[in-house]
Amino acid sequence: MADPARVKTEAGFGVSSTPAERPKQGEGPGDGPVSRSTASEPAAGQTSMKEEGKARSEDAAAGEEEEEGSSSLHPPPAKKLKVEHDKKKEKRQKVDEDEIQKMQVLVSSFSEEQLNRYEMYRRSAFPKAAIKRLIQSITGSSVSQNVVIAMSGIAKVFAGEIVEEALDVCEKWGDTPPLQPKHMREAVRRLKSREQIPNTKHKHILFH
Amino acid sequence: MAEEEDDPGFDEDLDDGGNGGDSGQGKRKRLFSKELRCMMYGFGDDQNPYTESVDILEDLVIEFITEMTHKAMSIGRQGRVQVEDIVFLIRKDPRKFARVKDLLTMNEELKKARKAFDEANYGS
Repeated sequence: MADPARVKTEAGFGVSSTPAERPKQGEGPGDGPVSRSTASEPAAGQTSMKEEGKARSEDAAAGEEEEEGSSSLHPPPAKKLKVEHDKKKEKRQKVDEDEIQKMQVLVSSFSEEQLNRYEMYRRSAFPKAAIKRLIQSITGSSVSQNVVIAMSGIAKVFAGEIVEEALDVCEKWGDTPPLQPKHMREAVRRLKSREQIPNTKHKHILFH
Repeated sequence: MAEEEDDPGFDEDLDDGGNGGDSGQGKRKRLFSKELRCMMYGFGDDQNPYTESVDILEDLVIEFITEMTHKAMSIGRQGRVQVEDIVFLIRKDPRKFARVKDLLTMNEELKKARKAFDEANYGS
């Protein structure tokens, strides 16, 4: 039809093809009765639009072809992706909340010794200044704060992996904590065989 | 065992005497002794871990950081260590990767919160 509003919307699709804008510019010619002046749509309107998009995206492939026939750039795949991403984000938030609740229940039932250990587990960290000095002494140039944060975090996880493996070894050999150097060395040997310990000193030349 | 408990002084003398022993890092002052003790306790060891074990762990951690730094210097922008390089190196290890992502996200959120707080103070 020669409806000027509709022509404008289609032209709008042609001009701006970024996925972020497409959902805002809204429905294609497939939705006749719904308003087409989508330039300044309030957030609430957008949510209802998303829901419509959800319903429509569930009709999926068949609908896609029809709509592509009528409008050249109508983006059902892009909106579908965004809608799926929103659904996943909600699910992830819900899972996070569940996990937080479970942790609270668990921590509230700790004994005193367990509480101490948990506190040490959470609070212990490598001093940022020493790590920064160490890295800078290796690179010779300065490093950003994020690098220091990342490196300290990884180093702590690394230390944890070794201690946990050493505790496994200790238990397997029938010993008790505190850990002894022989446990640590066996733990390192095991982790090395799993390639969890980086080693660039030994260059294995395959064909020479 | 009992023998291990008798040896500590002997081992420590070897390290501090500048012999270096196997580790080759005996001369360096101990950087992380206190923090590593707390960490080992948190991860499941005894409340007072053996000093030799702490030393071994410190050497391992320093070697780990050194290796990571060297690898990071060789990829991406040469001669510099950037966060993206570290994340790339860590990508295969799910635990470390998730931890780095969490830390960086939390850091961003904290920075935003502090900035908003400061602006609120400045306004009033």
